[in-house]
Amino acid sequence: MTPSSSYPPVAEVSHVAAPPAAPQTGTAAPPPGLSAEPLDIVGLLSRAHHPGAGAVVLFSGEVRNSNKGQTVEFLEYEAYAPLATKLIEEILAEARRKWQLHTAIAQHRTGKVAVGETAVVVITASAHRSEAYAANRYIIDRIKHEAPIWKCEYYTDGSREWGNNCNCHSVTGDATKHIYE
Amino acid sequence: MKIHVYARLKDYFQPEFELLETIANTDELKAVLVKMNDSADELLSACRFAVEEGFIDKDFKLNSNDTVVIIPPSSGG
Repeated sequence: MTPSSSYPPVAEVSHVAAPPAAPQTGTAAPPPGLSAEPLDIVGLLSRAHHPGAGAVVLFSGEVRNSNKGQTVEFLEYEAYAPLATKLIEEILAEARRKWQLHTAIAQHRTGKVAVGETAVVVITASAHRSEAYAANRYIIDRIKHEAPIWKCEYYTDGSREWGNNCNCHSVTGDATKHIYE
Repeated sequence: MKIHVYARLKDYFQPEFELLETIANTDELKAVLVKMNDSADELLSACRFAVEEGFIDKDFKLNSNDTVVIIPPSSGG
């Protein structure tokens, strides 16, 4: 786990779209919103506190060990990084505006993610809990449905399958329209 | 025109390839791709398209020097 001490003080980061991961020697830092390294949810949470926030909500989407009756060995996430990052930043900005959030953070893993590990984390902080909960749900729903990020499930029998797609288009008739909109 | 595909689409096409045909819009691009692999038809109908890191619609005029990214339905989270 990345040491939380690598993050700057809360006051400097309360309105950032997504925090950068700790620098990796010899490797490029991942773009905001995406991380090829394990997510440091404790470190991210430490950045979410704000003197005006009476509520902080953290959602951690984690890899479970089974799906459709098959035993999952691990997931592999792929993203079209430039657009995924841009969309996540837009979603966070929209959530901040709608619910007047003090903090909105989202990071999504790319690459191989083991069972029990965090694949995506969303943290929201607001004056009262109803806004923090609602905004958190809004952010994760939109990331799952709209951000160009895909998971491939690898099973213990050696097979693999691309994850359940957002199939909203089958209801809305438009690949860009989602059922929660 | 350069084409980049992601995720499940890589089961049907190379991740990156080039098309030499004159292609005016995404409908024409889809038709060319279905000719290349008709089993991708249903998936392509659910895909979005992007140029220069922005989504485009079917009215967007494509140019031969564009790099078009084809984006299957998301399955993150």
